[in-house]
Amino acid sequence: MVLRLDGKYNTYIGKLYGRQAMRKYAYVTWFFVLTLFFPLAILWAESISERVPVVSSLETISDSKTSDSDIQNKNEETEEPEPEETEEMSEVTQVKDPLQSVNRAMFAFNDKAFHYFFKPIYTGYNSMIPVQARVSVKNFYTNIKMPISFFNCLFQSNFKGAGTEMLRFVVNSTIGVGGFLDPAKSRFHINKQERDFGQTLGKYKMEPGTYLVLPFLGPSTSRDAIGLAGDAVLNPLTWVSYFFLTPIESLGNYTYDSVNDLSIDTGNTYESITKPAIDPYIAVQDAYIQNRKKKVKD
Amino acid sequence: MKIQRVFFVSVLSLFVSMYTYPFLCAAEEPGTLLMKTIDSGLSVLKEPSLQGPEKVQERRKRLWEEISPIFNFNEMSKRALGLHWKKRTDTEKKEFVELFTNILKDAYIGKTDTYSGEKIVFLKEKQDEKKYATVQTKIITNTGTEVLVDYRMLSNDGKWTIYDVIIEGVSLVNNYRSQFNNILTKSSFADLIQKIKDKKG
Repeated sequence: MVLRLDGKYNTYIGKLYGRQAMRKYAYVTWFFVLTLFFPLAILWAESISERVPVVSSLETISDSKTSDSDIQNKNEETEEPEPEETEEMSEVTQVKDPLQSVNRAMFAFNDKAFHYFFKPIYTGYNSMIPVQARVSVKNFYTNIKMPISFFNCLFQSNFKGAGTEMLRFVVNSTIGVGGFLDPAKSRFHINKQERDFGQTLGKYKMEPGTYLVLPFLGPSTSRDAIGLAGDAVLNPLTWVSYFFLTPIESLGNYTYDSVNDLSIDTGNTYESITKPAIDPYIAVQDAYIQNRKKKVKD
Repeated sequence: MKIQRVFFVSVLSLFVSMYTYPFLCAAEEPGTLLMKTIDSGLSVLKEPSLQGPEKVQERRKRLWEEISPIFNFNEMSKRALGLHWKKRTDTEKKEFVELFTNILKDAYIGKTDTYSGEKIVFLKEKQDEKKYATVQTKIITNTGTEVLVDYRMLSNDGKWTIYDVIIEGVSLVNNYRSQFNNILTKSSFADLIQKIKDKKG
């Protein structure tokens, strides 16, 4: 028998799973290569950028008017605490933002996407579906995504948290009718542990790195972008999507999940930060960095 | 017999006062003051005579009267400007406090228009030294989402006022400080004032 090189089963994986599955493996590989490439490239870029000398605060502000905008924030973090309460007063959240122009453009894009795409969708969705149903859908997705918080609890050696997550999963999958209800919280007062991989990396003393604004996903940092990739691996939905759904179906799935989340939040978090802000970009950036800092600290 | 009764009553009153004294004192505590203010604010929002879209302005005005005394806008503005505060003249400071108060008022009073039965629960309070306190509260929305809100308070001769609100770890004042600092490192104070005024319009 002649082995055809351009035939149907020309590789090992191809032999095992057939061509369709092989194509899916290629997608998976590309997905991870791409999601890992950008953050790693940025990390590399950071390591070659020049080190900013440590200058005391009061000189810095007058100096920094002439210097580049991306190192200003860095300079100000080295402020000397002055007597009395000024330490807390003068502290500015430290952010590395060398990609600010790109980020601002992406922020503007996301803002448009939010106002002209997601907002009309979830507003319509809200008016059609009662709130209890939407909460059930959210519970269902949260229950499925349990491995994310479970494994991250383990990685953070928070064994109590991991046990809690496991218990919640068992209770909600059985008494909670496959996760649509949340009796673990409403009956037994077992609260969800919000753990993600970016937080885990933070616990291992990894710095947040460069601030990024990702398309559709919004604010992130190089550390949290790696975290997103890590969470995608831990998320069973990713695997379901790759093996059982076509790309368009899985896209629909993710969009539905996020629209449903937005519909419960009714876009409040985003709008309550951007609406009263003088500079919405900085406001969202600062809120994100502060919130992440708190989550890593917890 | 009579002696016994007098003795009994005095012991009883001693016990009663022992148990109620802390509660009487607690009226001046920051947490109690805050929760009282929040409750009076919520009662304005719930008041039947102030419901409906045509009563919005009146409701906002009443709410502002109830809750604004507990906020220390001067201190908030000072902290929001951070190191730039010292370099400003008194008239500039005054104008800034006024503008900043208006931003906060528009932003946060406006948000109450969509109030739909969210509950605010007192968690605990921490008093560092004599002058500063943190009161932790939790907002429970009607979809069951919980939001942690901390109030930083400052005592001025026994009068407690809020100088910062921290929502899920995000300090309101720090957030504005980052924005103002970013603007002030690139342009002048006059530009900042102009930007705030544009925002209002």
